[in-house]
Amino acid sequence: MGLDVEMKTAEPAAAPSPLIHLKAAIALIEKGVAKKEMRLMARAIRQMLAVRRRLKASTVSSFLNYALPSGSEALSRLLGFVAKVELGDASMEVDTPPSMAQSSQLSYKQSVLPELESFSYLLVIIFLIDQKHLEDAKVCSSAAIKRLQQFNRRTLDVLAARLYFYYSLSYERTDSLADIRGTLLALHRTATLRHDELGQETLLNLLLRNYLHYNLYDQAEKLRSKTLRSDSHSNQQLCRYLYYLGKIRTIQLEYTDAKECLLQAARKAPSSARGFRIQCTKWAAIVRLLLGEIPERTTFMQQGMRKALLPYFELTNAVRIGDLELFRAVADKNASVFYADKTHNLIVRLRHNVIRTGLRNISISYSRISLRDVASKLHLDSATAVADAESIVTKAIRDGGIDASVDHSKGWMQSKETGDIYSTQEPQQAFHSRIAFCLNTHNEAVKALRFPPDAHKKELESAEKRRERQQQELELAKHIAEEDDDEF
Amino acid sequence: MEAKLQDINHIFQKFQVEYARNSFDNCNNLLSQLKVKLTELPGLPPLFKPSPTAAQELVLARDILEHAVVLSVKMEDQDAFERHFLQLKSYYTDTRGLVPPSEQEYPILGLNLLRLLVQNRIAEFHTELELLPPEAHENACIKHAVELEQSFMEGAYNRVLSARQAVPHETYVYFMDLLAKTVRDEIAGCSEKAYDSLSVTDAKKILMFSSDWELQEYVSEDHPSWEIRGSSVYFQKVKDLAPCKEIPSLQLINQTLGYARELERIV
Repeated sequence: MGLDVEMKTAEPAAAPSPLIHLKAAIALIEKGVAKKEMRLMARAIRQMLAVRRRLKASTVSSFLNYALPSGSEALSRLLGFVAKVELGDASMEVDTPPSMAQSSQLSYKQSVLPELESFSYLLVIIFLIDQKHLEDAKVCSSAAIKRLQQFNRRTLDVLAARLYFYYSLSYERTDSLADIRGTLLALHRTATLRHDELGQETLLNLLLRNYLHYNLYDQAEKLRSKTLRSDSHSNQQLCRYLYYLGKIRTIQLEYTDAKECLLQAARKAPSSARGFRIQCTKWAAIVRLLLGEIPERTTFMQQGMRKALLPYFELTNAVRIGDLELFRAVADKNASVFYADKTHNLIVRLRHNVIRTGLRNISISYSRISLRDVASKLHLDSATAVADAESIVTKAIRDGGIDASVDHSKGWMQSKETGDIYSTQEPQQAFHSRIAFCLNTHNEAVKALRFPPDAHKKELESAEKRRERQQQELELAKHIAEEDDDEF
Repeated sequence: MEAKLQDINHIFQKFQVEYARNSFDNCNNLLSQLKVKLTELPGLPPLFKPSPTAAQELVLARDILEHAVVLSVKMEDQDAFERHFLQLKSYYTDTRGLVPPSEQEYPILGLNLLRLLVQNRIAEFHTELELLPPEAHENACIKHAVELEQSFMEGAYNRVLSARQAVPHETYVYFMDLLAKTVRDEIAGCSEKAYDSLSVTDAKKILMFSSDWELQEYVSEDHPSWEIRGSSVYFQKVKDLAPCKEIPSLQLINQTLGYARELERIV
């Protein structure tokens, strides 16, 4: 698909060496397991990704020696992969790898947390993918998935979801996505049974991506519509889901839904995910054209996207003018781009919209025009051009594209007077939908706010205290009153 | 396994003889026998068990199903067509690496596209279209269906009808005839909206009827709201989008109360 849907937020690299960062990540994971706090896991992964670009074979292997018990199966396997990379670019190595004796001393402890093991797998897989050792990454990720299937721990979910993602990525890069479909489906089933919502979400997206990679829209839609989706746990996964859903809807000609999904995906995607946003914008532009809307010029002029969107800009221009000749020329000129984006079939569908727009322009400019002139203006060049024009015009009238009527005997098209839109309910409805949108956005924002756990308890305690205090005061008052009585 | 294959081959030959003679009942009987026999072959989907005869089995089964599809077109049975086609489809998609592609593949895929068009299942039409590789669009059979869909969407019905003369395969004629009916209904729907009235002669020409009587029959059956008065057909217009005279008070109240509630929550 040529598109990088990775949406990692790249954090500015900090100065200390990667190894220190990774060790800090271990501490986070252990704390996370102890406290059952998922967010710490996610933070550990983020910390690793921050040093991703600076990873070296030596760093990775010393980390592995540190994190995993010596002599364990995982350690020897993972070290094997890293050693291969090291051999590949031995000339570039400057750091001396720590000696075995030293590392075994450093070894963390004898039995290791499954989370730490998964984390090590994840690190090695990412490292292998970055170093372009894709076959090894495939083997390694398959082993990791096998290992994961032996555990049933909720604290693993965050790490597992990431592992699934890289598992699929390594197969996609080696163009063998079809092989893992069965495994992914099995994993999705397991995740559903265990209420691992993040896993479900990730795996569903991976499956959709898997199907769409082979244009299996039918299967993708069937899977999607039969899967229960809970509220999203991760913004990235939600974006991806919306993008895939938008694509499916586009193919099924449900353009209104598709537009909503694609625009939302583009809006929600983090600004660093440029490739993803470009892809969303491309599809959204086509869907809007198919709906008969013209995307604004600014859509195509966004920072850093201008060049990638140029073919689509030209296309929009052709549709806007309603010129079939120009449209054909643009489609031919950029055919290779459209094939690569898999939008070619959609472009073919657009032809009909070009005619429609042209017709609308004619109907606005002329109050009455002969069908012969319509045919020549639309460049309909067949033997029965006038009859063609007539049937096209009648269909446009039926579909509500233009407001006109045709006089067959006299052979002309008569446009109707456009009524005053403000005498209808239209403005009221438009206004309402905008207000509803704003209110909805506000509510979503409130929902998305994160509250620290147990924060409300403090207040509760203080309330208790207050009650205590009030009681004390009450007693005191009573006391005083009694004293008063005594004195009396 | 060899024996089974020979057995099937034998029945299939008998089937082909009957098929060439166009005796459909016999064909149907033999076909059900064949389908039962096919279930005994382990090399077929969904098992795909590798064996020395697997490729042979696949080709044979595909051949039989292809005949079944064409047979159902000849018998004008759309449901059977869909069933057989769905069975056949997995041979086209999942056996790409195992056996050489069939010559009948594109004609049959084109036929299926045409069927979806006739049944007005446009979404599925496009889903199927996405599955085809770019080079398939050059094929005459696929191109035919794709161009038909385009003309159909544009409203260039003349082109749809004239395409009947240029069918790429004899089996396509059946669906093209069905398509003509769909087109007539479409034209009727469009005319209703676009014209105030039409002279009977024009209406006949536009709706492709040869006699006044046929036109009357059609109008009374499918469009009872139309009226034939004298030498013209009058279409009853449904008045839509009349400017609203009264204020939709209940709806407005509901909306306003909704805003108040939401604002309360914000402040």
